[in-house]
Amino acid sequence: MRAYIEFAKKKFQNQIAYPMEVFMGILNTVLTVVIFCSIYRALYGEKSQVDGITFSMVATNFLISLGLSEVFSFDEMFLQNKYRDGTISNELLKPVNFKFRMLAENIGSSGFKLLFHFMPAVLFTCCYTSICKPKSPESLLLMAVSVMLGYLVLWLLSFIVQTWCFWIFSTWGIMVMKNVVVNILSGTMLPLWFMPDSLRKIVAYTPFQAIYFVPVQIYLGQVEGIVLAKSLLSQLLWIGILYFIGELFWRQGIRRVVVQGG
Amino acid sequence: MIGELKIAIQALKMSCLSRLQYRADTILATFAVFFREATGIIVIYLTLLKFDSIHGWNVYEMLFLFSLLFLTYSIIVILYADLRDFSCMIREGRFDLLLLRPRGLLVQLISNNADVIAALGHGTLGILLFVLSAGKVGITWNFSTIIYYLGAVISGVLIQGGIFIIFSAFSFYFVETGSLREIFYWNMRKFAGYPISIFNKWIQSLMIYVVPFAFVNYFPAQFLLRKPDMAEYPTLYIYIAPFVGFFVYLIAYGFWRFSVKRYESTGN
Repeated sequence: MRAYIEFAKKKFQNQIAYPMEVFMGILNTVLTVVIFCSIYRALYGEKSQVDGITFSMVATNFLISLGLSEVFSFDEMFLQNKYRDGTISNELLKPVNFKFRMLAENIGSSGFKLLFHFMPAVLFTCCYTSICKPKSPESLLLMAVSVMLGYLVLWLLSFIVQTWCFWIFSTWGIMVMKNVVVNILSGTMLPLWFMPDSLRKIVAYTPFQAIYFVPVQIYLGQVEGIVLAKSLLSQLLWIGILYFIGELFWRQGIRRVVVQGG
Repeated sequence: MIGELKIAIQALKMSCLSRLQYRADTILATFAVFFREATGIIVIYLTLLKFDSIHGWNVYEMLFLFSLLFLTYSIIVILYADLRDFSCMIREGRFDLLLLRPRGLLVQLISNNADVIAALGHGTLGILLFVLSAGKVGITWNFSTIIYYLGAVISGVLIQGGIFIIFSAFSFYFVETGSLREIFYWNMRKFAGYPISIFNKWIQSLMIYVVPFAFVNYFPAQFLLRKPDMAEYPTLYIYIAPFVGFFVYLIAYGFWRFSVKRYESTGN
């Protein structure tokens, strides 16, 4: 465990070396959220609410989901690059689990972005437009838990696709397609409240709403009591399922590794 | 001039051939680009199923607005792929190679590489959107509108090509220009498909006067569609839209000529 924490810490510290990146990261997040809010301001027009959803709720949804999607982004070509240039062989010899090491490093850099990209962006956006307060202190706390679970869901989805590099020439195309599906169905660009019912029903059976939308709902207090517990459980369930699938691909794939020379 | 054109065609052929080495991967990547770019379109379509229109623009008018963005970009990546990735080129020292050849620098940069995958992905989407929307937005296609439209496309290519040249010229002053491009080109391009009238004044001015995306699609579309939100801007803008590209390009060219003198190799 110590080793993984060190991996995470190292990635976290690495990022401090680029202050310009931090500034741009904040600007990027703020700009994206502001633009999406402008679009919905125009869509709402004079209406104070649509289907019981107020504009502030939409703005809150965008701030959380778009902001976090910036935090949650990491190098998705990592495994493929390691495999292509053969350095994966050195990695496999190390006495640490390669998967968990990848996760630890990604968590390290995401932690940095959470503190130095997301938090400042939240402050700026709160000045610009009205953002809903959390329903209660507990809902903020539970949301934090849910965000972490959401991160794992997204990470595992990416990991599964990354392992396909053992079979196909380049995972880039499939990775892009995966991200298209995630972007549309997870509610970052289109709040799930406004998704057509038929599509919404399908999304309920996918892991995508477990990434950002469950945390948003918890924050706004849209789910409480039993329903809230169920939402958190659904996140855990998806983590379990995706972990199992990822493990399956990883075990099969790693057997195919043949490194020539060094 | 003829010689340069021959080189350009030869280079385009080579770009295509080198991609065809990995046929399955190229097809997959083209689909990927197509769907990545279509994300925004799918989102708008789904959103407008709920809200009907945005600031008076219905779904077909929105598709028309976006089609101009994709069509122009597909031409740009054939011509300006090297200038798009220019800071990378400088870092790797590949730019030095061009200095040794007996041709103009910009000519070489423009004719050298083509991003075939992006051109196909964006181009297909642009044509698809145009076909879907052009008959349904109430434009009477006659000689003058067609000429205007073609002019707007050329101008749109020159505007964005000019922006790439200016950003590339910045590379002679600053080591890293990636984040500058990220904010002022890529990020803005994501939203340039929306009618600019929905944004606040700051962003509007940015899109009209600084990085003039508004002249790539919004004003040309206004000439053809005449939506009520045009009242917020001088009518002159829709008439000058097909010419703004030449103006931007001239500035960019001047700035490039001025800046390229400062170039010092990063060495290798």
